[in-house]
Amino acid sequence: MATLEIQSVKKTFGTVDVLKGIDLSIEAGEFLILVGPSGCGKSTLMNSIAGLEDVTSGDIHIGGTNVTGLAPKDRDIAMVFQSYALYPSMSVRQNIAFALEIRKVPKEERNREVERVAELLQIGHLLDRKPSQLSGGQRQRVAMGRALARHPKIYLFDEPLSNLDAKLRVEMRTEIKKLHQRLKTTIVYVTHDQIEAMTLADRIAVMKDGEVQQFGTPQQIYDDPANMFVAGFMGSPAMNFLRCELQCVDGGYAVGVTTSEGSSYRLPLVHGDNSLQSWIGKEVILGIRPEQITHVIPHKDNLDHVARFSAKVSVAEPTGPDTLVLISLNGQEVDCRVDPREEKPVGSDMEFMVDMSKAVLFNPETEGRLL
Amino acid sequence: MANPSRIDPRSALIGRFVLYAVLIAAVLFYLMPLVVMLLTSLKSMDDIRAGNLISWPQEVLFGAWGKAWSSACTGVSCDGIGTYFWNSFQITIPAVLISTFLGALNGYVLTKWKFRGSDLFFGMMLFGCFIPFQVVILPMAQTLGWLGLANTTTGLVFVHIVYGMAFTTLFFRNFYIAVPTELVSAAKIDGAGFFTIFWRIILPLSGPIFVVCIIWQFTQVWNDFLFGVVFSGGDTQPITVALNNLVNSSTGVKEYNVDMASAMIAALPTLVVYVLAGKYFVRGLTAGAVKG
Amino acid sequence: MSMSNVSEAVAKPSSKGTEAAVRATSSSPLDWLQRWLPKMVLGPTIISTLIFIYGYVIWTGVLSLTKSRFLPKYDFVGFLQYEKLLDNDRWMVASWNILVFGGLFILVCLALGVLMAILLDQRIRAEGAIRTVFLYPMALSFIVTGTAWKWILNPGLGLEKLMQDWGFDNFQFDWLVNPDMAVYTLVIAAVWQSSGFVMALFLAGLRGVDGSIVKAAQLDGASMPTIYRRIILPHLRPVFFSAFIILSHIAIKSFDLVMALTGGGPGYSTDLPATFMYVTSFSRGQMGLGSASAMMMLAVVLAILIPYLYSELRGKHHG
Repeated sequence: MATLEIQSVKKTFGTVDVLKGIDLSIEAGEFLILVGPSGCGKSTLMNSIAGLEDVTSGDIHIGGTNVTGLAPKDRDIAMVFQSYALYPSMSVRQNIAFALEIRKVPKEERNREVERVAELLQIGHLLDRKPSQLSGGQRQRVAMGRALARHPKIYLFDEPLSNLDAKLRVEMRTEIKKLHQRLKTTIVYVTHDQIEAMTLADRIAVMKDGEVQQFGTPQQIYDDPANMFVAGFMGSPAMNFLRCELQCVDGGYAVGVTTSEGSSYRLPLVHGDNSLQSWIGKEVILGIRPEQITHVIPHKDNLDHVARFSAKVSVAEPTGPDTLVLISLNGQEVDCRVDPREEKPVGSDMEFMVDMSKAVLFNPETEGRLL
Repeated sequence: MANPSRIDPRSALIGRFVLYAVLIAAVLFYLMPLVVMLLTSLKSMDDIRAGNLISWPQEVLFGAWGKAWSSACTGVSCDGIGTYFWNSFQITIPAVLISTFLGALNGYVLTKWKFRGSDLFFGMMLFGCFIPFQVVILPMAQTLGWLGLANTTTGLVFVHIVYGMAFTTLFFRNFYIAVPTELVSAAKIDGAGFFTIFWRIILPLSGPIFVVCIIWQFTQVWNDFLFGVVFSGGDTQPITVALNNLVNSSTGVKEYNVDMASAMIAALPTLVVYVLAGKYFVRGLTAGAVKG
Repeated sequence: MSMSNVSEAVAKPSSKGTEAAVRATSSSPLDWLQRWLPKMVLGPTIISTLIFIYGYVIWTGVLSLTKSRFLPKYDFVGFLQYEKLLDNDRWMVASWNILVFGGLFILVCLALGVLMAILLDQRIRAEGAIRTVFLYPMALSFIVTGTAWKWILNPGLGLEKLMQDWGFDNFQFDWLVNPDMAVYTLVIAAVWQSSGFVMALFLAGLRGVDGSIVKAAQLDGASMPTIYRRIILPHLRPVFFSAFIILSHIAIKSFDLVMALTGGGPGYSTDLPATFMYVTSFSRGQMGLGSASAMMMLAVVLAILIPYLYSELRGKHHG
């Protein structure tokens, strides 16, 4: 268990900058998730932490020690790989004990360690099998067991669940979460799955094009995204981005929307300050999550930050607990999340309610936050 | 089920018949030389003159085999091809083992421990698979002379290793490139070094490619004639050179039965390998072909 | 799946011994060695490739510019040896022969290989056994091949006598001793030895063709011959190319087969560049001329190989 500090780490392959100066630091025992689309540099960053790749410049500290130039074996880390990377010619027992054997840990000690890990992960009955005789989920457990057999300062997980089927993935996600809560270890975890990121992390670093777009707690990232990329990447279904005009109403701000039938509405903005003054009359991008556009909920009707409008339902996608309804505002498609009981048939008009308290505004050029 | 171009059963049957007839003819064509060799080697010379290529021996005789082994004339000496048969083993075994082992290490480095220029080097090495060896034998003859290795078994083994390595490296490189590099990363993190990873992780996976490579190299080295005829002297000649001397020496009466028995002896080791491990033999041929 | 009942196991602190041993300390000379080990392991091969392939090719090139006879002599005469080569009737015969032999050998092997592969691909009984028979000649050396065919084609006692015994009294077959026809005996023997290999390549290629493509074509109403001609064979283009490269490589290097089957005779009517190079350099002691002929062989190989490798590499970038 140790802290991790990454200081202006850069990595260049030829002329391509894969990492453009990464700064991150986490406390001992924190669960850090690196998330982003493929090619964003998250795996390169993880390999740099592991020492599998050299960095071009910058420093990496683990537990206060600068490990930048050290070989992987001297960094005191353990890693779980996407493909599990179990040694095919060794039994599960040998796989788990391998690192200890290399480090010349006495045999009895090794056996004790293997037993402990096997009990922890409930893989005792698999110890004498070869990896090829295991199912995907079992392999995943053994891969974790191999990492847990030592007590390294940091655990690295490289998309460990992406090779599992959907159901198993959810189960293992929960187990990893339990494991972390129990062991209180420092974990760095790479994934491209934003749900995994939200559910597991203490801290999330959203990456794109070799840069950290935002670094914060899951809730910060969800509610207060730094830019349109983060806003669009985190959350499913994705946040609606709506081009509209910023207007000034009674000293406050609002945006104007027009439905496909031609009726216009003003949606009030709650937290506006003076910096928005220069945008009045100009086009901005409103970011609003689907769950904030709902059917009419009577007890919220009189709140200041709530507006109502009616629009034609063009597509309805039932998910079970909610139905996602597609409407058109300003000629753009907008997802709304409504109660299935309140849903109106496709083609007919429906009354919606928007909760603008969590709405955000983006600059259409820079895609950065305005509000 | 209304298929307008449906072939009626009669013509399908005829097609099938022609198909098998062609295949059987082909099988006979490919088998004939071996059958002829075997039959001829079991006949006496009178029998050969009286019958024809595929007539059954009037009396099955093994005399030609005995003579081929121990007393047939190969150029100057008349001690049969037995000693040359063993020469070939003395050349082949070390050459195959060393070139295979080096190929495995090279393939391991070229796929799992790449460094700046290693890909370029692999490309340069591939070129070594393609050059006609005529373009290197004169300098090699000179070099072996300087090293005092001319006409020695050691010299010939050396030549086979040097020029076999391009192929063995290619085999192992193409095999190891499919082995997930994450295995090596995992082992590095577990604390294993270069050779530990090779011995403990990579080698245990390499069984099939070792078989393929060893069979390929064995066939190549055993069947080699060019290096044998250029770089070996009287006592160190491999079997191919001795067989050629025996068949093409113009002294005395031609004994076709002895020629054929000798050819069978020279062919036997590779034939046995082919029969026992044909699957791997074919895999080697096609694997070598894909990139070689 | 729950692990709530194993909290004891987790809580147990690991013994001090494990902790200490796991914290491996790095010793710098060893690290240095680890960094250089891959290069050191590959080093001998790099050096040997540079010397024994590239160095020797250059060396042979240098020799081809000298008057060297039995021993290398480094008095340069420019391209005299190449001029001599082009004036040399024997070399011209050898060059012509390699065109005839190589061309026929490659064509017949490809044709036979494709045909056999297609026939074998028709769900044949005993396919494995037949394949084994087609391929075993590849395990034999060209010396053994030459020896066997020399006997089969023997003008007195070979095929001729067999056919006469079978009632074809006037059957004549003297190609082996006929200077105009002897080169074709090389083709026969070489095809026998190598065509099975081509068959194996194509069969592997056929087995790799996606079955659903064939099914789709059948649904479109295409007949089997059309499917082979229009869909499957075009699919096998890469196999054609690699088979072509390998076969031309075998043809240009052909040395042993000639030595065993015809010895280059009658006269020098079946000489190939490879045998020319050997005889000139080693029997006649004209090392300069021999080197020049070797360089010519290399040039031909490169002329075939470079476009191939170029297209291969380009294909890879696109793929």
